[in-house]
Amino acid sequence: MSGGIAVGTGVVKDDGILVRVRGLERIYKVGDEEVHALRGIDLDIHRGEMIAIMGPSGSGKSTLMHIVGCLDSPTAGILEIDGEDVSRLGEVRLASIRNRRIGFVFQSFNLLPRLTILENVALPLMYAGVPLKARRARAKELLESVGLGDRLSHNPNQLSGGQRQRAAIARALANDPAILLADEPTGALDSLTGQAILDSVKVINARGTTVILVTHDPDVAASCHRAVRLKDGLLEGAA
Amino acid sequence: MMLLENMRSAAQSFGGNKLRTLLSITGIVIGVASVVAITALGQSASANIKNRIAQAGLQTIFVTAGRHSGAEVERLFKDDLTGELREIDGIRDALAYDQRSFQMRAGQNDASDSVATASPAFTDIFSLSMTEGRFISAADMSDRSPVAVLGSELATSLFPDGDALGSTIRLLGEAPQILRVVGILTQRSSSMGVSFDSTLFVPRTTYLARIARSTRVGSFVLYADASRDVVETAKRVETFFTARTGSSTAVRVMSPSTIADTMSGVTETLSAFLTGIAAVSLLVGGIGIMNIMLVSVTERTKEIGVRKALGATPAAIRSQFLVEAVALTATGGALGVGLGLGVSRIVTLALGWGFAVSLGAITLALGVAAATGVFFGLYPASRAARLDPVIALAYE
Ligand SMILES: Nc1ncnc2c1ncn2[C@@H]1O[C@H](COP(=O)(O)OP(=O)(O)OP(=O)(O)O)[C@@H](O)[C@H]1O
Ligand SMILES: [Mg+2]
Repeated sequence: MSGGIAVGTGVVKDDGILVRVRGLERIYKVGDEEVHALRGIDLDIHRGEMIAIMGPSGSGKSTLMHIVGCLDSPTAGILEIDGEDVSRLGEVRLASIRNRRIGFVFQSFNLLPRLTILENVALPLMYAGVPLKARRARAKELLESVGLGDRLSHNPNQLSGGQRQRAAIARALANDPAILLADEPTGALDSLTGQAILDSVKVINARGTTVILVTHDPDVAASCHRAVRLKDGLLEGAA
Repeated sequence: MMLLENMRSAAQSFGGNKLRTLLSITGIVIGVASVVAITALGQSASANIKNRIAQAGLQTIFVTAGRHSGAEVERLFKDDLTGELREIDGIRDALAYDQRSFQMRAGQNDASDSVATASPAFTDIFSLSMTEGRFISAADMSDRSPVAVLGSELATSLFPDGDALGSTIRLLGEAPQILRVVGILTQRSSSMGVSFDSTLFVPRTTYLARIARSTRVGSFVLYADASRDVVETAKRVETFFTARTGSSTAVRVMSPSTIADTMSGVTETLSAFLTGIAAVSLLVGGIGIMNIMLVSVTERTKEIGVRKALGATPAAIRSQFLVEAVALTATGGALGVGLGLGVSRIVTLALGWGFAVSLGAITLALGVAAATGVFFGLYPASRAARLDPVIALAYE
């Protein structure tokens, strides 16, 4: 496996490559200075895989997640999702890919505070053009599946951290994405709650969603199929 | 599809900050209120003026000459000119008219008021009605009867006991007369310098035979055909006199219709001017909206980032903020319409005018308010739409 350290326990049913990264670079320009956040990443992620990305702070983990998640475009290199080169697509196409094929889970949940969690979960469905009724039904179903069926009309600030992250996961899954991107999803939670969140992510992966997870916790990484380590914008162990 | 959501989102974002929202739309409220109030008041004013002038008799045209307007006028202003005047296109009737001030006495009561000449046609021309008795009759004219018809005020000042009808009045002065009261007019607003309520009317024939000092006619009262444009008819009368006197200034032709025309022209110009000022205040209001929308976009940068991460296109973000801006200005517009109508209603009540509201002006004001929202919301909304998702997500 390219650039991978095999530490995983589970078995991946290999349906081919879902995410293909080649020579990926991301240079931030801050004034006259250039920050090389990613300096040539090659990485293949297989369909159905659950992969951990590790590395010290500032090594480029989030930058990589943003590019794979089509929130950001690489300065150089290629990103293919499902065989389609998306590294040079326009904003509208990228928005559509984020909406249909990617689900984001953030460390700080990023639920919209003025909306109920039902409305939060329905947002990706709205942007997908799902009619209101169907949206509500689907959002309710999703929240029930993460055990929040009795909290539909609560605002995020009326929920605990773990509940918020579960709502955020429900939202990430709204359009049944192929890829779930989780950037330190347990970073803001205590270890017990974090473990519960991790377990549900595993269940999601077991149902077929490819998961890319940023974590600082070696135990979490060990429970994934595979872990890769970034350092100074490069994958460790890569040639 | 997303319109409903966007409206809800707008309501939620304003609901969370009611005072700020209210302050931000003040400019729009005042702008729209001014437009509505100005047009409503303008219309009420001109309706009121027209109404008063219509009461004065829109079909009448008055022809007067200055005291020293030249030999031509002196020769022309004779009773027999009425025959020629009746020939003018659009004129149905023409009467010679004089009025002079007299000392009059009835029993112990004195008055100093106008004596004016009249003929039976006056009742039609000025739509006169009687409280008591009758107006001057054809027989009075042919007999040159010494009879008088009194205006309502004059009747009460000369006959405080209400026993005017059948009583006699003495006109004092160089040619004293005794007149018998045959009728009293109903109260009526004055018209073209004839204050009916304080005038004593005598048959024109009686006047010429007994009271007049010269055959020079003071003025002519013309009765125009209402089915024709009275303003145009008045112009033809003017042309007639200009041709006959060789001067366009020797004779004055006045008609309530012409005055109504000028007046409504003036009020229209004035409203247009004031509406222009109101439009400027709408512009200022729009800048207020733009300001608050820019603040809102900045405050909600993180939200925009999250929405983009979830798949919102730039167009979706733009329309969300545009709907917010339009919702703001439309709310301001609705409040403004209410305020404007309220203010103009109070003013018209205070002035005792009729209240005329134009739906067109209200729709226009609301439309302009909404358009202001689109115009001034476009820049903030585009800024929101253009935000980089990663930078927006990182915003704290
Ligand atoms: N918008 C930006 N502008 C300039 N430099 C940036 C920007 N975002 C990230 N960087 C830089 O790029 C490098 C990688 O940042 P990144 O956020 O990907 O690190 P990370 O591995 O996620 O770190 P952490 O574990 O602390 O989250 C860092 O040096 C960071 O300072
Ligand atoms: Mg990071």
